[in-house]
Amino acid sequence: MTTFDEIPEPELPPPPEDVTPALQLKNVGKSFGSVIALRDISLHVDPGTVTCVLGDNGAGKSTLIKILSGVHQPTEGEFFVNGEPASFSSPRDALGAGIATVFQDLATVPLMSVWRNFFLGNEPRVGIAPFTFLDTRKAKKVCREELLAMGIDIRDLEQPVGTLSGGERQAVAIARAVYFGAKVLILDEPTSALGVRQSGVVLKYIINARQAGVAVVFITHNPHHAHMVGDRFYLLNRGRMTNEFERKTVTREELVKAMAGGAELEALAHELEGANVR
Amino acid sequence: MKAPKLGLAAAVAAALVLSACSSGQDEDKDSSASGGDHKDIKICMYTHGDGGGFWSVAKKGAEQAAEDLGVTLDYQESNNDPEAQAQFIEAGIDGGCDGIAVSAPNPDAIQSAMDKANDAGIPLVTMNSGSDSFQDLHAFTHVGQDEFIAGQAAGEKFKELGATKVLCPIQEPNNIGLQQRCDGAKDTFGNVENLQLSKGLADLNQSEAEIQAKLEADPTIDAVFSLNADIATGSAMPAVDAVGRDITIGTVDLSGDAVQAIKDGKMAFAIDQQQYAQGYLPVVLLYLNKINGHVLGGGKPMYTGPGFVTQDNADQVQKLAEAGTR
Amino acid sequence: MTATSTPTAQPQTDERLATTSWLTRLLRRPELGALMGAVVIYVMFSAADTTGVFATITGTARWTDYASGVGIVAVPVALLMIAGEFDLSSGVMVGTSGLLCGVLTTEYGWAMWPAIAATFAFAAVIGLINGWLVMLTGLPSFIVTLAMFFSLRGINLGATKSITGTVRVAGLRDVPGYDSASKIFSSTFWHPYDYRIAVVWWIGITILATVVLSRTRFGNWIFAVGGDANAARNTGVPVRRTKITLFVMTQLAAALVGIISLTRLASMQAGQGVGQEFTYIIAAVVGGCLLTGGYGSPIGASIGAAIIGMAFIGITYAGWNSDWLYLFLGVILFAAVLVNTLIGKRAAGARK
Repeated sequence: MTTFDEIPEPELPPPPEDVTPALQLKNVGKSFGSVIALRDISLHVDPGTVTCVLGDNGAGKSTLIKILSGVHQPTEGEFFVNGEPASFSSPRDALGAGIATVFQDLATVPLMSVWRNFFLGNEPRVGIAPFTFLDTRKAKKVCREELLAMGIDIRDLEQPVGTLSGGERQAVAIARAVYFGAKVLILDEPTSALGVRQSGVVLKYIINARQAGVAVVFITHNPHHAHMVGDRFYLLNRGRMTNEFERKTVTREELVKAMAGGAELEALAHELEGANVR
Repeated sequence: MKAPKLGLAAAVAAALVLSACSSGQDEDKDSSASGGDHKDIKICMYTHGDGGGFWSVAKKGAEQAAEDLGVTLDYQESNNDPEAQAQFIEAGIDGGCDGIAVSAPNPDAIQSAMDKANDAGIPLVTMNSGSDSFQDLHAFTHVGQDEFIAGQAAGEKFKELGATKVLCPIQEPNNIGLQQRCDGAKDTFGNVENLQLSKGLADLNQSEAEIQAKLEADPTIDAVFSLNADIATGSAMPAVDAVGRDITIGTVDLSGDAVQAIKDGKMAFAIDQQQYAQGYLPVVLLYLNKINGHVLGGGKPMYTGPGFVTQDNADQVQKLAEAGTR
Repeated sequence: MTATSTPTAQPQTDERLATTSWLTRLLRRPELGALMGAVVIYVMFSAADTTGVFATITGTARWTDYASGVGIVAVPVALLMIAGEFDLSSGVMVGTSGLLCGVLTTEYGWAMWPAIAATFAFAAVIGLINGWLVMLTGLPSFIVTLAMFFSLRGINLGATKSITGTVRVAGLRDVPGYDSASKIFSSTFWHPYDYRIAVVWWIGITILATVVLSRTRFGNWIFAVGGDANAARNTGVPVRRTKITLFVMTQLAAALVGIISLTRLASMQAGQGVGQEFTYIIAAVVGGCLLTGGYGSPIGASIGAAIIGMAFIGITYAGWNSDWLYLFLGVILFAAVLVNTLIGKRAAGARK
């Protein structure tokens, strides 16, 4: 049995240097009435890198994503996009600024076909206003090409997205985001519901996007997956940022320990030793 | 995946066809049981009826007439929907009606359908409502009870019974016929006051409360002219009991309870518009027109009422009401 | 693991792709069940027909008459259901619009065409109110439109009573503009069969709705908003605007039927249309609309309306009592929901 240290890690080319962060949060907080979901969050996401946001359930990850994707507005702090202060009133706004979010439920409509989902919200049109119609031919053609470029061959684009496997659905969602010129791609727990093989496929897409210069924000509660592809890691716990690591400075084990609340576990282990539990 | 859909559709179709065949057979049996054999004559009756106690009696009358004469009857009720009634008439014109009888509470609505029927040469009769407009509708007569005349007869009866002031509760706001009954009573009796009921038949308790309130507020009222049998037994009678005065009650139309109340002396009279005949007679009239070219009525309406049910004839009427023919 | 990946699958040859998708696409269509049902029911009523007229051009003119009154509203109701909402006030609006137009002309002396324009404007406002309330309160549209149904029903009775003294408006034949209006809304064509012009309106609206739904961006939004409103919102689809537009369309269609009815009967009764809201939903469901939204077809809804029209006339021509119509509606609704559930399971992924 190999230990963690012996499992090889991918060799990622170095990220671009000295760039303006695609996204930056400074001391951002979010409260809902008397509930403080996030407090004093500072992070930055650079183009061409993968930034992992790790945390267990209830850590505040979903609130953070909703702020980044424009669903919520922060109640405190500053939010910068490409160095400029920004405020989004809706996901449509955020999309307009190049921030694409692939939510856990994938934001795909199960009953609609693959190509309709692909172009949802960005439908190509022909004709003269007000008689504009969907450019169905172009839509299907482009959808097919983009999916093939991601390595997926979906035979019948008319089939409902609900009939695809989990990994295929993720691929459609990611391919959609990348195609529509996302400069920032936020992925909300893309591997959480997938098996090993499908997860590998998704992690490959993440690296592809990174290579294409996209700033990827990878939200997960799985430190192993994170360490495979991440350049920078932020740990969230109970609404606060508890750690920040760079790839060069942290091993996989350290990351796992930090996530699992390493210090607490050590203390617990000492307690149990003392009680002579076998 | 296709099999269940087809199977289901087929099952539904089969069920409907089977029920149709069985009901069709019953109708055949009835029509040929007695009377002559004029099955090729199709008499159509399209009313605004709602299948309730009143209209089921009228329908029975029509069905009995069809059986007695040996003709085919197409009876359809539109449940107060004038557009549906117009559509029935037009369907009937295309469907081979040899004569059409309609009720006309809303003559405007069926005017063009009746024009069409007339253009097609189909003889027409109106029944139950439309005594003022049957000529415009190209009908050669009207079979029913004139509401005003019924009211007049009631007014005379109240005079006979020695009343001095009559209350006339109106249970349906959209029924001009009811208004005419009160007007008729006013014409012969004089001192008649109308009362608009807010819920009418929909809430008999509420109607009772409203009548009672009026009776208490005006102690000179000593008679109530109810315009519906259920209002009489369900609202007027309990209201009168509660008030405690000696108040004479009379009503229009019959019900089992109303007849019993008359037998027991709690109600003085009921005006019977004899709707069985409103169903029966038009079939006969149209039949006679078809086989022998008769145009009856002399251009005037034929009255099926007012007939009075009092303690004298209540017994006989009660038996018939239980049989569903009065 | 390398950083780049190359596509390993090759695209299928064209002929193979064409045949499979044609057949599967056909089977996937929501209208298929409705069409099969319509054929079966047509055959059944032709067989039970005692007049020999049902399966003729004349008979078709008669049942399309009834069907058009259902179909004109059932089509936008189907679109609304695909978007995941209901409108229970659509039936009573037929009466309200007829009464409004009738009152404006016979009591306030308006000419016909301005009254018709005002009636459509009023219907649009009611649709806006329905839509805003649903979006603002987050309450189920079933409840919001049910409240609107009762409100309109009360207004129908109360306002007409206080204005006219009865609960009916009549005497429209003398109103200026009545003749031209009845030509547009309630005339007949093709003597001697006398098809009603409402059938042309019905077919036109069906075609329009089908084109919008399948060939425009707005149609894509309708599917999305009904299939998963959250996903749609997060992808940037204007959920509010889409739904409110559909509520307005439904009320406008109901007003159209109201005007058609008013000009045909030259009168209007206060209770007109009440109860029809469920008939529209039945037609939409028979036509393939899922009650949960995201799937359905305006053509299907029209086929559903056709089935209902066939039943109305077919039952009469078979010599049965027209009360059986209600039983018939109940049976086809049940059968349609059963069939739709099977389809729904397939569409959501039971295929593999």
